[in-house]
Amino acid sequence: MARRDTFQAIADPVRRDILELLADKPMTVNAVAEKFEISRPAISKHLRVLKECGIIEIQSKGRERYCEIRPTQLIPAFLWIEQYKKLWEERIDSFEEYLIELQANKKDK
Amino acid sequence: MDELKKRTLTIKKTFNVPIQLVWDAWTRPEHILQWWGPKGMNTRIVSHEFRIGGSWVFAMTMPDGNEFITEGVYSEIEEPYKIISTADFKPMTEGVVIQALFEEDGEQTNFTFNVVHPTEEYCKQQEEMGLYNGWGSTFERLGEYLHGKK
Repeated sequence: MARRDTFQAIADPVRRDILELLADKPMTVNAVAEKFEISRPAISKHLRVLKECGIIEIQSKGRERYCEIRPTQLIPAFLWIEQYKKLWEERIDSFEEYLIELQANKKDK
Repeated sequence: MDELKKRTLTIKKTFNVPIQLVWDAWTRPEHILQWWGPKGMNTRIVSHEFRIGGSWVFAMTMPDGNEFITEGVYSEIEEPYKIISTADFKPMTEGVVIQALFEEDGEQTNFTFNVVHPTEEYCKQQEEMGLYNGWGSTFERLGEYLHGKK
């Protein structure tokens, strides 16, 4: 059996997107699948990997199957860093834009 | 990957702007509030003591009224080359160290930005205390907001 740990879980960009969705709220398998353009079986496979990695739980409620992230499962620091990275990159971009603006204003004077 | 590298986020850029202007934009409150928050999001400089040992508190107000507070204490300031500060992002995580390094290159400035995250053991402790709850949705909300702006 393939390696099943957090590294494996987030190695795939689709799985990272799924985790981002589920970080907000639990969703049904159908609802998750609707968010992506790839096939249902492919999504099911990603969800299965996430489940096997212990990061999400899939529970049946009535006819629906709900996916829920397990916050009690240790999410290693580097997953945080992934999240932070986006924020910091946007912030540094915003800083750069502002610098260019400042520079332009200076030259006008 | 060594342990420190694994928990450090590095962003490198070259700005086509002289070092003094970059320094001013990074360190003066009237400039900080112009770039710290994403466009359309209101940044409030609650306090800013720009000296070694001085503390700073920035607040960003989300459209839903929630505030993100980031605060820290400057541990090194070496004008116009280097600033090291601690940073706490409430309610997500605490104990981050941010390093901003500026290098003069004629009319340009080479910029290196490091964010050193707490050790995994620390993260694990936080997780065990239940502090992880909510970080995901917080990022998600902010992420949605940022992407909505694009």
